[in-house]
Amino acid sequence: MTFCLSGIRKFTKLWKSNPHHGHNPLPYYLSLFLTNPCGIKKQQTWFSLKALSPQKTKGTSLLSAKARHLRNEEGSTVQVSSDSPHLFAAGAAKKRSQMNPQSKQSKDNDLPPVRNIIQLPTKPLTSEEWDKLKEDFKGKTDFENWISSQMAHCHSSVDVAKSLLAWVAAKNNGIVGYNLLVKYLSLCVFHKQTSEVIDVYEIMKARYKSLESGGYSLLIRGLIYSDRWRESLLLLEDIKKVMTPSKKNYNDCIQGALLHQEVTIAWNLYQELLSHDLIPMMETLKAFFDFGKDINDDQYSNKLLDILLYLRNNQLYPGESFAHSIKAWFESGQCLGCGKTIESIHLSPEEYEFLKGRIMRDVIDGGDQYKKTTPQELQRFENFVKSCPPFDIVIDGLNVAKMFPKARESEVLSNVVSQLAKQNLRLLVLGRKHMLTQRSRWRKNEMEKIQKQASCFFADDISEDDPFLLYATLHSGNHCKFITKDLMRDHKACLPDAKTQRLFFKWQQGHQLAIMNRFLGSKIVFQHILSYDTVVQTTGDSWHIPYDEDLVERYSYEVPTKWLCLHRKT
Amino acid sequence: MSVSVTFLRPFVRFLLPFRKRSNLYSTVVQRCVSSKIPTMFYSNTANTSSSEPLELDGWKTTMKSSVPEEGASTVSNGMDEDPLAATRELIEMWRLLGKEVPEHITEEELKAIVECSSKSSKKKYLRYLYVKEKMKKAKQIKKERKAAAREEAMKDRLLETAEEDKQQNFLFLRLWDRHMNIAMDWKCAQAMQFGQPLVFDMDYDNYMKPKELQNTISQLLESEGWNRRNVDPFHIYFCNLKIDGVYHRELVQRYKEKWDKLLLTATEKSHVDLFPKDSIIYLTADSPNVMTTFKHDKIYVVGSFVDKNMQPGASLAKAKRLKLATECLPLDKYLQWDVGTKNLTLDQMMRILLCLKNTGSWEEALKFVPRRKHTGFLEVPQYSKEFVNRLRRAKTSTSFSKSSLSVAHRRGGLN
Repeated sequence: MTFCLSGIRKFTKLWKSNPHHGHNPLPYYLSLFLTNPCGIKKQQTWFSLKALSPQKTKGTSLLSAKARHLRNEEGSTVQVSSDSPHLFAAGAAKKRSQMNPQSKQSKDNDLPPVRNIIQLPTKPLTSEEWDKLKEDFKGKTDFENWISSQMAHCHSSVDVAKSLLAWVAAKNNGIVGYNLLVKYLSLCVFHKQTSEVIDVYEIMKARYKSLESGGYSLLIRGLIYSDRWRESLLLLEDIKKVMTPSKKNYNDCIQGALLHQEVTIAWNLYQELLSHDLIPMMETLKAFFDFGKDINDDQYSNKLLDILLYLRNNQLYPGESFAHSIKAWFESGQCLGCGKTIESIHLSPEEYEFLKGRIMRDVIDGGDQYKKTTPQELQRFENFVKSCPPFDIVIDGLNVAKMFPKARESEVLSNVVSQLAKQNLRLLVLGRKHMLTQRSRWRKNEMEKIQKQASCFFADDISEDDPFLLYATLHSGNHCKFITKDLMRDHKACLPDAKTQRLFFKWQQGHQLAIMNRFLGSKIVFQHILSYDTVVQTTGDSWHIPYDEDLVERYSYEVPTKWLCLHRKT
Repeated sequence: MSVSVTFLRPFVRFLLPFRKRSNLYSTVVQRCVSSKIPTMFYSNTANTSSSEPLELDGWKTTMKSSVPEEGASTVSNGMDEDPLAATRELIEMWRLLGKEVPEHITEEELKAIVECSSKSSKKKYLRYLYVKEKMKKAKQIKKERKAAAREEAMKDRLLETAEEDKQQNFLFLRLWDRHMNIAMDWKCAQAMQFGQPLVFDMDYDNYMKPKELQNTISQLLESEGWNRRNVDPFHIYFCNLKIDGVYHRELVQRYKEKWDKLLLTATEKSHVDLFPKDSIIYLTADSPNVMTTFKHDKIYVVGSFVDKNMQPGASLAKAKRLKLATECLPLDKYLQWDVGTKNLTLDQMMRILLCLKNTGSWEEALKFVPRRKHTGFLEVPQYSKEFVNRLRRAKTSTSFSKSSLSVAHRRGGLN
């Protein structure tokens, strides 16, 4: 019970100090309430929160022997740049787009003209004052609806909204419309006025037999802090009658259950959430970890480890505050133990074969071989690949050749090929047939030079060359890399399920080389290639958990660079 | 510590025994009492700002004590578990909230909503119904207004005709529509005999969802209409049209008894069986070849396919499989393209082709491309014209020199 009280005190303080705090004070409050900053500091000696960035040697020292071997082999052959974030690092895409001069001319998005002629009242108004305000209002919608949504939007104080409702009710024989009630409710929930929420709840129950999803969600969110939080579970049942509740609904109910020490209910709700194929909110998972700090129960800790495995299997990454929560939980004496390796990026043989088959079947073939190529061409390509010994590097000829818009295509390509050929690498250049016809941008002698130094395969002009690139690389084996700047998102999208897509992405991270040079003529430098897998992982006695920093915007095809590293102090 | 005590006060009443949901309706009185405990938030903040306290909580009592609204609880309690009834209630509540949901829903529509897998698909379908209902209502109102106006006009005319009822001389009876139809049918019959074929390839039924198929059929109907009205219509072929397939069923349903009297060729055969392969040109926006002129001896094939699902290259793959020539419209050459896909609707294609056939002018034909998709026609630049002229000149001069050389050679041989 003290737990609950202290929590309530804290959040009321919070909203009192800045009642008009902008966006979403709820998660903010939660982080304040549930994390225990003192705890982290106190036990700093026991565990360390390291920020391992992949460029540091620390990251590589953690690799398994196999991965290290492979990396060393790579190091001898291909020069890899180490001073820029790798292609898939969080925030890299944003940086790239900022460097791109075209996107610099960002349009000044001029704000729409201010329509809000009416100043929102800051204190409760009398009926006469509301009447006067309504006369001033000229708009399409009715005044009550408009003003209440404005107030909900700007988070006006509850009393102002209440005076509006009182005025509406007085005009309207004591009846307030459902839409106004819902907007009032959202204000009450926002300001955490639990007693008001309960009053509205009673009104809604008396007047309406059932509500709609928006009203239910607000009621659930409002009720979980009260002693009548169990009724929020009933409301959840009501939602289930018509549709699957949202992950937010589940989040609220789970938070409510944890707040009232009902662990079993919380876990059951969590299981239900997963069974609906919903991806839980990070807040939900965080709440379990935060709650776990005060619990000494093997079963509970095993379930928390299950959550970590869930993150791993679905390649989800916790946010910064969640990472702190995980750390805090480990520090509270539940730690398992330690180890020292980060998993290699390389796929297991079974996974590798599986991915190869999938690429062949879904990306190249895709149910209709004529869509991306022709059966004759596919046959020609397969025969070609089988006749050649495995390659070390597969080059996307057109992508590489068009790297420098001002230079001649064939010159760029032959430059790259000759530099790589000098390192005794078996090369395959994939291109299209039009590259062979003599034109100003494709010189015959340079193309002949390329064909001497590397094996080449030219697809038809209307075929796609990327699927061939992928297959040739996969066919050559695990050591083979491919060179292109293409992020291959369209091909990833051709894969049927999320699991295969994740496999593909993992393989891509480990095998894609992107050329970084900005000028022709200099020695080619590749973007840093990941040799380890960015995923929540354990070796039984240690945990390595990548997490998202709060201030870095991560695109879906990027992975975090910051790690939470937990191991037992020996 | 005192702070926490004051904040605890509103929670005291929650310690009242927990009530089950089933007997809530009978405890109205009790609830009224409980809600009359003044909330401390209110007394803290509101009273400091305004000198005289406003009556703010009065509305709650009336709201709670009044009977539930009729619209919200038409369904009896026994039907509570029925998903259909629950969905109907949900929609009713959404309507109260001002969301875009229809007022009246039929049983089938309701079933369709319940079967929608996700919330967003439910909302999409409801929005569709809402817009449909709104359009229908607007049309109804317009119709009524028109009928009223007509009545008025009739009345006026009756008065007028009563005054001047004299014989007039006319050359024709008023049978324009019928005559037009007969004339069009004559032209189409002529086209059936001597017209240039235009093929609609109906082999896309498994690429499309029901909605897209509906759109395709609408576009086909419109294309057929445009063709019929033209001076020199095409001879339309519906190829690969499987009897009792989805296309066929929809077409028969839309055309009704007219279907068997349509002056076009509907066949289950493929266009490659009907025509020589080398005279077929498959029109597809994915084609690498650009159409330069309309050829009157070729058979153009248009895929009757509405692609809302982003399946690029489906028609190109078809043409590749049958080894057919492909072409696309020279949209980029003549228009400053702005937004939208280069895939045009079937009726737009039909009008462009008809225009090309009759006039041969691209500028005229591409006026049927929707204006929203481009910002204007490109002036064929002077430079490129000169370039073409120069090329032509160079070609004639080389051929001339070649011929003169050969002449010289022959002369040498003679000697």
